[in-house]
Amino acid sequence: MPAVIHNDVLMYKGSNLFRQRLLLSTLSGRTIKIEEIRSTHEDPGLKEYEVNLIRLLDKITNGSRVELSESGTSLYFQPGILIGGQITHSCCTQRGIGYYLEVLLALGPFCKEPLNVVLQGVTHHDLDVSVDKIKTTALPILLKFILVDDGLELKVVRRGAPPLGGGEIVFRCPVRRHLRPLQWTKWGLVKRIRGVVYALRVSPTMANRVVESAKGVMLNFLPDVYINTDQCRGPNAGKSPGFGISLLAETNDKTFYCAESKSSDAGTGEVTLPEDLGRECALKLLDEIHRGGAVDSSFQWILALWMALGQKDVSECVVGPLSDYTIKFLQHLKEFFGVMFKLEVIRTEDDDEGSADEEDKTPSAQRIKMTCIGIGYVNISKRTL
Amino acid sequence: MADDAVFDKKKSHRAKHAGRKAEKKKKKTQVDQSNLSARQRNPKAFAIQSAVRAERQFRRREDVIAKKQHIPKVDKTPLEPPPIVVAVVGPPRVGKTTLINNLIKSFIRTNVSNTKGPITIVTSKKRRLTLIECNNDINSMIDIAKCADLVLLLCDASFGFEMEIFEFLNICQVHGMPKIMGVLTHLDMIKNAKKLKMTKKTLKHRFWTEVYPGAKLFYLSGIIHGEYLRNEIKNLSRFISVMKFRPLSWRMTHAYVLADRLEDITSQESIRKDPKINRDVVLYGYVRGVPLMKDSVVHIAGVGDMRISELSYLPDPCPLPSSEKKRHLIERERQIYAPFSGVGGIVYDKDAVYIELKGSHSHKQDDEEADEKQALLKNVVETKETVDEQMQETGLKLFSGGDLIYPDMLKDDEYLQQGKSQDGDSSSDEQESDDESDSENDSGIDQSEKDTKSKSSKLPWDNGSGSEDEGDDDNDNDIIDNNKKENENDLNSDDTDSENDEVNQEDFSIKWKEKLTENATTAYFERQKTSKNIMKLVYGDFEIGNKTKNQDEEEESEDSDDTKSAGLLKTVTSSQKKKHKEKEQLDLDECSFFYSLNKPNLRDWTKDENKLILINSFVTGKRSADEDAEELLKLDDASDGDDEIYGDFEDLETGEKHVNDEKTDTQSKVEVGSKRKADPAKAEILNKKLKLKAKFDAEYDNPDDHRIKGDHSYYESLKAEALKQSELNKSVFENLDNGLRIEVEGFRPGLYVRMLFKNMPSELVTNFDSSYPLLIGALNMAEQNIGFVSCKVKKHRWYKKILKTNDPLIISLGWRRFQTLPIYSKIEDDLKCRYLKYTPEHVTCNMHFYGPITPQNTGFLALQTVSNATNEIQQLGFRIAATGSVNEINKSTQIMKKLKLVGTPLKIYKKTAFIKDMFTTTLEVAKFEGARVKTVSGIRGQIKKALSKPEGAFRATFEDKILMSDVVFCRTWFKVDVTKFYAPVVNLLLPIGNKNAWQGMKTKGQLKRERNIKYDANNDSMYTDIVREPKVFKPLVIPKELQKALPYKIKPKAKTMTLSKKNKKEQFSGRIAVIKNPHEQNVSNVMKMLKTNFEKKKEVQKQLTSEKMKKYKKQQEAEEWRKIKRQKEVKKKICRQLSKMSNKKQKQM
Repeated sequence: MPAVIHNDVLMYKGSNLFRQRLLLSTLSGRTIKIEEIRSTHEDPGLKEYEVNLIRLLDKITNGSRVELSESGTSLYFQPGILIGGQITHSCCTQRGIGYYLEVLLALGPFCKEPLNVVLQGVTHHDLDVSVDKIKTTALPILLKFILVDDGLELKVVRRGAPPLGGGEIVFRCPVRRHLRPLQWTKWGLVKRIRGVVYALRVSPTMANRVVESAKGVMLNFLPDVYINTDQCRGPNAGKSPGFGISLLAETNDKTFYCAESKSSDAGTGEVTLPEDLGRECALKLLDEIHRGGAVDSSFQWILALWMALGQKDVSECVVGPLSDYTIKFLQHLKEFFGVMFKLEVIRTEDDDEGSADEEDKTPSAQRIKMTCIGIGYVNISKRTL
Repeated sequence: MADDAVFDKKKSHRAKHAGRKAEKKKKKTQVDQSNLSARQRNPKAFAIQSAVRAERQFRRREDVIAKKQHIPKVDKTPLEPPPIVVAVVGPPRVGKTTLINNLIKSFIRTNVSNTKGPITIVTSKKRRLTLIECNNDINSMIDIAKCADLVLLLCDASFGFEMEIFEFLNICQVHGMPKIMGVLTHLDMIKNAKKLKMTKKTLKHRFWTEVYPGAKLFYLSGIIHGEYLRNEIKNLSRFISVMKFRPLSWRMTHAYVLADRLEDITSQESIRKDPKINRDVVLYGYVRGVPLMKDSVVHIAGVGDMRISELSYLPDPCPLPSSEKKRHLIERERQIYAPFSGVGGIVYDKDAVYIELKGSHSHKQDDEEADEKQALLKNVVETKETVDEQMQETGLKLFSGGDLIYPDMLKDDEYLQQGKSQDGDSSSDEQESDDESDSENDSGIDQSEKDTKSKSSKLPWDNGSGSEDEGDDDNDNDIIDNNKKENENDLNSDDTDSENDEVNQEDFSIKWKEKLTENATTAYFERQKTSKNIMKLVYGDFEIGNKTKNQDEEEESEDSDDTKSAGLLKTVTSSQKKKHKEKEQLDLDECSFFYSLNKPNLRDWTKDENKLILINSFVTGKRSADEDAEELLKLDDASDGDDEIYGDFEDLETGEKHVNDEKTDTQSKVEVGSKRKADPAKAEILNKKLKLKAKFDAEYDNPDDHRIKGDHSYYESLKAEALKQSELNKSVFENLDNGLRIEVEGFRPGLYVRMLFKNMPSELVTNFDSSYPLLIGALNMAEQNIGFVSCKVKKHRWYKKILKTNDPLIISLGWRRFQTLPIYSKIEDDLKCRYLKYTPEHVTCNMHFYGPITPQNTGFLALQTVSNATNEIQQLGFRIAATGSVNEINKSTQIMKKLKLVGTPLKIYKKTAFIKDMFTTTLEVAKFEGARVKTVSGIRGQIKKALSKPEGAFRATFEDKILMSDVVFCRTWFKVDVTKFYAPVVNLLLPIGNKNAWQGMKTKGQLKRERNIKYDANNDSMYTDIVREPKVFKPLVIPKELQKALPYKIKPKAKTMTLSKKNKKEQFSGRIAVIKNPHEQNVSNVMKMLKTNFEKKKEVQKQLTSEKMKKYKKQQEAEEWRKIKRQKEVKKKICRQLSKMSNKKQKQM
């Protein structure tokens, strides 16, 4: 649903895609107004985790103006200038740290001072990408855009499972004046599978059972499978029990696919079998590999963002089928920055062949080539001497 | 035996040293000395004599090379570049207009009566020029410097360089130096040949110091019949047409348009009602710099920030000639376009056709018939486009009150033209547009639904679990997948067909070939369709095209569709569905996973058939043709010898033999996990060859590379990268349809665009003066916002005054000119900005102001006034007050002013003291508790606590006891805020003739002078005579202990110890004061008097004796003299007597 522009203010409705809108508003410097936030719900207005996000944005910017209506159903946001620097933030436990970390990752290269953030909260959540996934999958993407790694780092100090959390991470990000244009059309073949299984406040055998089943699936495809277990104790294990797995597939062109699963939250009454969990995660990873593309499907949007914010040169990347979130993000990019991607469906030769010699339905994943000209975004916050 | 060996030995070869053979050989080995370099001729001279020197030489060479290297920039010049802006600048009455007229005449051989505004002309097959004259207003000079590619700087040689020229050069330096060519005119005014030569030389050298040594300076020697000499003009035009340009960083990041036409399209009725009503203005011009995005904010210099409400491109009014192979321009292609000057013939706009009538008098001269004929003829001659193109421009109106219909709408070029909302109805015959009309209603969803229904062979996304798709939230995505898969299927079936053909082959080869092309085209279309669909899926909700639409317009058209179309019910339901869906999505939780909220039923990849799909994604699987080492080897072989392409080979991995036999080949294809297509097609070889050729071309075309020798692989790789990027930039959108291309890429430079601005101030139109440049500069992201800008600045050394903090200053930064209140500061070592009241001289300082956010390192210049009043200019001399560049942007500032709080001791204990007068209240003291204080003599201390009794006094401790006379001070910092004042210079809105008199905020000094306000001077600041009393020192006292330790030499000597009388006497006289009684006093008085008398008498006597002595001496002398005289006489006598006697004797004898 396109925004209505009124007096240079972008007007939106509904709480969906709240994070995207705030993120793009901060980057573009355009004021937004969001109305009818859960106005028909029993619990109207912004939720705690969204307010928490606004707080975080306020911490890393200077001169932001936020106006919330009394009922919390409408929000006016006038972004300031990105400052960055040393920040400690305790995230809301309703969402994972990934919810906040993704925003910081997207904003990181454009701050005045290099970002050095300590985030506390839930490190693994069902709705959000886990910190492990961001570390293994998203950071290599940023590295492609900034080329030199001077202090890009994500450290998981403590893990914390929902609902109480208690995890902590440290994220450092260097600043850049502008991003390079990127051409990334080949991603190669998967050469190794790595993974980590964590068990917090549960028996260590759980972790081993998960490893066993996940490995069982993956070994059908590749012999190079190593899965670590991370059995946390004491304060390092957070406040709630839980266990989970994240699997990483690395290709020979430095593309990373990651899939993850975690046990159901403590207190919900559901029981998760470790064997099922491992198998589910492995299948998810295979699904991700099948989708293919230069980046993991969860980070298509961040790839699109950094492509759009590049210099006024052509960037082109090939990704797997666009996720719903990415589509929404592309629409938002058009609204905030006026940048439009040229999207093409690419046909690989094996598509034709595959369906030619076998009549059964083996739909190969759609590959989409995204091409755009960067808007020539420069980091206006950074100081020159 | 030994002898044998000697005899057995073969005669050794003896080279001939003389004779025919030797000569031949000599000739052969001889090298031609004339062609050799010095190094070859005399290699010893160049041998390394000293390692140190060789090392130095090497280092120097490397330095020279490194100096030549620049960071490679991506070349962004478009294929069809915009006209080059040639600005003619100079003080009044140097011959700017004459020069422009002459240049136009020399380029296109027509006379232009009045030259106002930019004039675009075609000069050669690949070059167009936009000539523009700059008037003598500093605002225009600034705007021209921002947009000109080449500046012809005119100068009256008989007068010399004027201040305007130096000002202009300075402006250029700040905003990015365009190419500058000096032109000296009025050379015929200098009659004396020698003087002329001298003038030329001095002016040339002055010009070189300003621009760069060796800069081109032209001489226009004189005017004949009001024109410059033809040869000289021709020469100049040649220089212009071969000029090369360097990219400037500001213009390589910002789009800009130099408007060459302006139309006011406000309805006449509303103007009649209110002449001051805000106008809708359309501006036209070529896009320059980088692509201009559709909904970008622009700054119109001299007016302010505006948002383009409508942007579209028009056919080029002054196009480059078609790419026919011929050397020269034919007369018809030498075009001129200058709406402000009234030249340019017929102009096609979006909604009108303009015909230049050249005033009302032009008709009168000829009779009407001839005139008409001529007009027709001219029309034909002057048309710049084909009839088809013209047809496209002219619209057809079906119903009164309906929209114009353009031929373009009937084609699939949906993005180009406006009013597309109705095109679906008007052209139902075309399938493509039919699709579009559908998509108009439901943005792609409906269409795909229809498709799925009609085909009914629905391919599930996940095998076996297709049902879950139905209820899925993201059915958009799925549907598009399905859609795609259908196409795929079609295509695949085609492919299988073709493969069958291949198997049968040979006799059907011709047919097969035909089919192949057919297949290819259909495949292409399919692909287009799918790609379009994905575009539509993402961007379906947006208005894409040449013109933006209104939301309600769309609504309206939808309604009309509803009423007209038979599928009334369907559309309504679809729109309802859409709304429902929107509502559903309104408050969803945000999640960036592929399956956003619901867990998917995963495909069981461990099953064998599923495994097959995936197995090739792993390194253990088979590679694709272009990656497999074997295939590549084969390809290499093929390129070596074409005959071996289909040779036999053995696949070692699978152990199967590939023989040159079609059957096995096809078989192997069918095999499980078979190789991907591996035919090393000839095309690939060709491709490879082409690549090599391109590489060679690139190397050959850039001879610059060869100057840089040695191992500079890093630099070379950077260069290659930039080259690759620029190739990609040019090629990637080449085949895209124009409307979509503009949407993706923006309006690329070189396009002629029409910009509609709504709500422009009416003064722009009513006070429009075409001699002022109308520069429209696009603003990048966040540049339309306002914040605090921190920059470094240096007062210009030619500017007479220093600048004062918070005095209004006019700054030209980026595209803008604005007035603001700056605060100067100095960055201390701890990066604190210390407030300065005035700019320092000859050094840079920091400056903060409230203004538009501009990227770092952008240059700016500052003026104190832009008004052109002559007396003011004369007073100032040079108008550019300061120059600098932006450092940092922020939303708040931290400028600290140094503040010293002074107090005096109230009471002093040992090391504690009570200090008063520093603060006025206890609260203030409480704020400063723990602060450091210091006395003037340097004793440090700390503020402890406030005292109760004298308000504001406090207790402080020091490191030593302080004195009551000490002054205690406390150093603090006080934050100074930057005043939020930002006023753009709106000189284009001022009345004609008054445009150069923009007056913003006045300085305090100006106001005081105007109103004759005088403040009394502060007494402390008055200069008074310094009175210094002579210092009285205390006698030096050396302690006894110290004295003892001193060496004898420097020990103070007490004059008591000796026994001599003299000293004794002195000692007593010094020690005892003698007080005489009155008698004694009298006695001594009398004695004194007697003494005086006696002395007087003695003196007189002395004098008398001396006089007597003198007298006596004289007398003595006189006596002596007489004595001598007498003696002489006697002697004389005697002598006479003697002589007489002797004479007598002689006579006797």
